[in-house]
Amino acid sequence: MTTTHAPQNLVTSISDTPVPSPTTSDNAPNYLRLRGLSKSFGDTPVFQNIDADIVQGEFVTLLGPSGCGKSTLLRAIAGLTDIDAGEIEVDGEIITRLPPQKRDIGMVFQHYALFPNMSVRDNVAFGLRMRRVAPRSRRERVEETLALVELGDHAHKYPHQLSGGQRQRVALARSLVTRPRILLMDEPLSALDAKIRQHLRDQIREIQQQLALTTLFVTHDQEEALMLSDRIFLMGQGRILQQSDAESLYTRPASAEVAEFVGAYNRLDARAARRLLGQHVDGRKLALRPEALYLMEENGQGYLPPNPGPACTGLIVKRQLLGNVIRYRVDCDGMTLNVDTLNRGRRFLRPEGSQVVVYADVDEARVL
Amino acid sequence: MSSNADRRRSATGGGLPLHWWILAPIFVSLSLPLAATLLYALATRWGATLLPDGLTLDWMLRLWHTPRFLEAFGRSMFVVASSLLLSLVLILPVAFLARTRFPWLERWMDVLVLTPFAVPPVVSSVGLLQLYAGGPLPLVGTPWILIFTYVSIALPFMYRSLINSLRGFDAAELMDAAQLLGASPLVAFLRVVLPNMRLGIRIAVFLSFSFLIGEFVFANLLVGTRFETLQIYLFNVRRESGHFTSALVITLFLFILILTWLGNGRSEVAAPKDRNR
Amino acid sequence: MIRGHRWSPALLCLLPFALVFCAFQLAPLGYVALSAFRVGTGWGFDHFREIAASTFYRQAMWRSIEIALVSSLAGLLIATLACYGLSRVGGGTRRVLIAFTNMTSNFAGVPLAFAFIILLGANGALTLALQRFGLFESFSLYSRTGLMIIYTWFQVPLGMLLLLPAFAGLRSEWREAASLLGAGRVAYWRHIGLPVLWPSMMGTLTILLANAIGTYATVFALVGNNYNLLTIRIANLVSGDLFLQPELASALSLITIALLTAMTLVQQHLLRGRTHVE
Repeated sequence: MTTTHAPQNLVTSISDTPVPSPTTSDNAPNYLRLRGLSKSFGDTPVFQNIDADIVQGEFVTLLGPSGCGKSTLLRAIAGLTDIDAGEIEVDGEIITRLPPQKRDIGMVFQHYALFPNMSVRDNVAFGLRMRRVAPRSRRERVEETLALVELGDHAHKYPHQLSGGQRQRVALARSLVTRPRILLMDEPLSALDAKIRQHLRDQIREIQQQLALTTLFVTHDQEEALMLSDRIFLMGQGRILQQSDAESLYTRPASAEVAEFVGAYNRLDARAARRLLGQHVDGRKLALRPEALYLMEENGQGYLPPNPGPACTGLIVKRQLLGNVIRYRVDCDGMTLNVDTLNRGRRFLRPEGSQVVVYADVDEARVL
Repeated sequence: MSSNADRRRSATGGGLPLHWWILAPIFVSLSLPLAATLLYALATRWGATLLPDGLTLDWMLRLWHTPRFLEAFGRSMFVVASSLLLSLVLILPVAFLARTRFPWLERWMDVLVLTPFAVPPVVSSVGLLQLYAGGPLPLVGTPWILIFTYVSIALPFMYRSLINSLRGFDAAELMDAAQLLGASPLVAFLRVVLPNMRLGIRIAVFLSFSFLIGEFVFANLLVGTRFETLQIYLFNVRRESGHFTSALVITLFLFILILTWLGNGRSEVAAPKDRNR
Repeated sequence: MIRGHRWSPALLCLLPFALVFCAFQLAPLGYVALSAFRVGTGWGFDHFREIAASTFYRQAMWRSIEIALVSSLAGLLIATLACYGLSRVGGGTRRVLIAFTNMTSNFAGVPLAFAFIILLGANGALTLALQRFGLFESFSLYSRTGLMIIYTWFQVPLGMLLLLPAFAGLRSEWREAASLLGAGRVAYWRHIGLPVLWPSMMGTLTILLANAIGTYATVFALVGNNYNLLTIRIANLVSGDLFLQPELASALSLITIALLTAMTLVQQHLLRGRTHVE
């Protein structure tokens, strides 16, 4: 997964300027507050002691492997799953004990959950009908919202007549039309084809920013999380392992677990760290992303990192093409390293079995 | 999920949840006739009291010493087993060919198998009685007409089970593979396809069996007392000793139950594969 | 093997089945259709005219429709409630109850009639029990009410087995989505649950109606020829001891089939344009 975005992040990490994010500024009030949320099914804990604050208009992604409790957390916020302990607060109001009907929270489901007996228009109008909005303004808002998701022409159709992407846009419109305080999205893109997924992903982000919707988005897809979010909450084993913006999550994992999930990190022991970084770290491990390692020809051709460590000569034992990135496995002084380089073209390919010199970017090494 | 259950429980305020107030009366009513018959079959004497005086297995055992019952049992088994064998021989090739060679046949059969459901047995009997009372095929009054009629009314059960079983694997591909390896079509069918259908055949046979053994209308109208099957026998003795007849009803019912269970229970084992599709 | 070749020797394997099915399923039906119009040595509508003119046959028709409608509607209602109840019961219990339903749906015809005599006959266990409490004094199993009870009893399990898949098709996400959009339990069932179930309920109703109209064994074992229904009349005209009138039976049979067809058509009409099943 690191493949497609490695180059981009390489650039940002070199420039080393944090991505500006207006919504995470300190003076904005917390809109959604989670305090000590815990939940177990029988003896199995699903999530424990979750604390989180989300600012109004922020797009937060809950990222994690399947079974980490992220979907259950989302359902708990929606009120579809009871929690054992903790408190949920929206806009200063504690909603922990409210039934879902009264929470004023919108949700988009993985498999759309469109009502099959209703046309697109009726599906979207449903929430307004339940809120007893007058027919005239109901109609207006439905048209408006359908236009927003570019489905104005399909209002009369039934869900089974729509494609997956269209269905999910109807589901999005249905949850937007009531102007909920918070929009929850439970893996809304994972049932769709790659092409449609990308398009809808961009559309979701656009609409979210346009409406300044506080959004909590669940996914197991790192690429999605990195591209969409103001902030990412990485979940694992029922806990939030790291809360940060995409760039920091990717380049500065807070723990070995995070590093494990985020990318094909090279993990360096003390000896390897000394060899590659020229630094002494006692007992602790270091993580180094594959694109923070640079390859030079023996004749000195190639790029040097901004802050190179000691040179280390090695042998390419394997070469994998990952698309726009080439991953080399280099045997280097008894270490096996993954090195990613941009696929610039044939002339730059290095054959397996060739000698290379590896330099690490010292600034990018993370202590775990 | 469990949390929804929690909320439901708390919503009804501790007592019996709403759905049990619905389910309990319905299932009690459904079980009453069966329970009463079972109790009657096991009661020594059950006069004008709410509950019987004592329990005994005498009635159930006496059944198996009654020649008339045993004869009726034998006749039923003969008729049902013959029709099952015949319908298997007739329908198996149809299902196989519909699945592997003639898609048009599958579409036709889907409609055709509905006719035995759509036409009430009484109506079919009217035609059967007139067609086969005399003429070149005087079958009325003999078990033969029952056997042939049963083949046609067992069709939906037979065909559905067989075709479902055939849909569970790619029979056409297996046939091709076997023939490429040198088997003749017949050998390929017998040695490759048929073993894969064992389960489907078993389900088909058990379901049809339990359906046919309970058949009364045709038996009564086409053959009647001239060939007393179990259902006819039960009909004829329904006014005699309540206990004895109860024992007969329960025995018959248990028999049917075990057969359906063998059919369904087996299909349950095979089901997970299907569910994933 | 050449596929798609329509006239291959393999077709011969279909012949025995085709013969038996034609001779014992289609031919009798065709015979009925013809002999209904057979008058003496000619053809005509005489039998239908006779039926239309006879209060006796009109009563049989009317009573068949009446008992079919009452027992099917009651059966459908109870089955729907039972399925709703079952949808809220967890795994093990649910499986036991469904197995039990399956079991009762196999209990039909003569054994069923007998069981009801044991239970609700003049000296039936339940009759006696209820009479002790002063209830049910004038109840008779062999009356119209009694027959309606027994019909409804066997319609319920059948209706349940037909409806259960539809209930299983109700996705929990619909309820969840509805609740997030502000719908309570009642609103959910009114706007989503029942409308989604509607086609299956109509289909089930049609099958229950057909089942009731075609029922013969249970009534015959219970009251013999003493309750005037279409099936009883037909059977009596071809197997009674005297006055066999097979042509008249054929005409009544055709009327029965016409009734069933009409019901199916009504159902299809009601469901027109409702093909929204996912």
